Amino acid sequence: MSELIEEGVISENAIETDVFVPESEVKEGEAQIHIRNLSKTYVTDESETVVLEDFSLDIRKGELITIVGPSGCGKTTILRMLAGLVQPTSGQILIGNRECTVPGADRGMVFQDFALFPWRSVRKNVEFGLEIAGMPKEERRQRADKYLKIVGLEKFADHRVHELSGGMKQRVAIARAMVTNPDVILMDEPFGALDAQTRNIMQAGLLRILDKTDQTIIFITHSVDEAVYLSDRIVVLTKRPARIKEVIQIDWPRPRDRASVEFTALRKRILEELEKENVMD
Amino acid sequence: MATIFNWTYDENNRYHRWFRTTVIAITSLVCFVFAWWDVSLLLNSTAIPTPLETWDALVDLVVNGDSVTGGRTVWAYIASSLRTFLLGFLLALVVAVPLGLVIGYSNTIREFANPVIEVLRPIAPIAWAPIFILAVDYTIGPILVVFIGIFFPVLTNVVFGVQKIDPNLMDAARTMGASSIQVFYKVMIPSAIPYLMNGIKVGLGVGWMCIVAAELYAPQLGGIGYYLSTMATNGLWPNAFAAIVVIAILGIMTTGLAEYVHKVISRRMGMSNV
Repeated sequence: MSELIEEGVISENAIETDVFVPESEVKEGEAQIHIRNLSKTYVTDESETVVLEDFSLDIRKGELITIVGPSGCGKTTILRMLAGLVQPTSGQILIGNRECTVPGADRGMVFQDFALFPWRSVRKNVEFGLEIAGMPKEERRQRADKYLKIVGLEKFADHRVHELSGGMKQRVAIARAMVTNPDVILMDEPFGALDAQTRNIMQAGLLRILDKTDQTIIFITHSVDEAVYLSDRIVVLTKRPARIKEVIQIDWPRPRDRASVEFTALRKRILEELEKENVMD
Repeated sequence: MATIFNWTYDENNRYHRWFRTTVIAITSLVCFVFAWWDVSLLLNSTAIPTPLETWDALVDLVVNGDSVTGGRTVWAYIASSLRTFLLGFLLALVVAVPLGLVIGYSNTIREFANPVIEVLRPIAPIAWAPIFILAVDYTIGPILVVFIGIFFPVLTNVVFGVQKIDPNLMDAARTMGASSIQVFYKVMIPSAIPYLMNGIKVGLGVGWMCIVAAELYAPQLGGIGYYLSTMATNGLWPNAFAAIVVIAILGIMTTGLAEYVHKVISRRMGMSNV
């Protein structure tokens, strides 16, 4: 498949060639994150599972990049390696010039199931990273309140987590990830547990928040619609072992119209590609 | 009449629900007292006094103290039992909580400790009573029996609590830069607290059962269990039954308190369904 793209077979389609650059190269010096030949193999007594094979990608500062792929293809593993929670079998990840091997406050993470601390109030959840950083109490509180305001939850600061809806919980988690001002925010299917309507609202909300910051977002999703709506670039993966099938640059202005011709055309094309990957063999 | 009973039960009204539960509970206790009365009359044995005789003995015990053996008040007996109970409880917490956290945290330590725990845990705490009390010391012995009773439920619950921690919560803390030690006391300990409370709830019940049995072996200590055994050996059955009523009431109060604290803390920790 990837050979076909390189040869320009797919981009013969008029609409597509107009709107996006199929193979986008990140120029030297632009990149903030370098992922080099990343591979991951899980070994158990009975079997060896190659989850990821020779995955290389450069990510620009301030870019919103989504990674889509067939279910179980290892998307989450890539993100967990970026977070430093999982060690790659081979290859390396560089952020700036530093190799990242352990978790650190320079990378925030948002989890699909929110991962909020149920014994802490909403504000105390947001304060967690600041607490770890040793920020004084008063300053911590002000900063947490500022970020709660950004996600529109300032009225819920003293509530307990279980009193919030799913969408609100994830807004708390986003505030918690952003409050320490990390260079990169890793989002692991953050809206996957939400209903379709809440999901759309959250996507629009996320873009509004990102307008005010220049944080790099790496976003895992299995919703192609979400990827096309949000991304500067979409990385399409193959089925396991995951390799990059295609990288799609989208330069359309935001907010994007889901009903527009180019939106639906691109969504359809990516869905078709993923469907080919999902065929059992 | 009609105006008094002219109301319908509303499942969604908490006062209605409370009223219903209370009425059923009182009916249940009244039925129990009458059944007891029946058995007592049918068997016509002095060893089973009627509720009325027990009541008289209880009132006598509360008002006049122990008039049989020598003037101690019921409060003195209760205080002695509660003191033993409390010391055993505190000792169990001090030992079981840190141990449970460590055993839950480290696989190696768990594998090392589990065989010993599994050997000791099934032994009824009361079985230790003669050994602790006769071989160790009659003041410390009953405390140790209570300790054993509370120790294992607390330990197993804390171990379970640490193991049940949502790994995502630890990952989340780590991505925010938390060190292993910070993860331990900012995530693992708070996560385990509702389980600890559950262990305490179970442990208090077991511990309370132990105290009375332990006191049977330690007459010098003079708790309510001692009063019970003295009355029974002298054939003063209504007094013995009165002691049992006191033990039951204290037991209900202890577990009721534990239940309440468990509920409040679980809610505060945002884990109402543990």
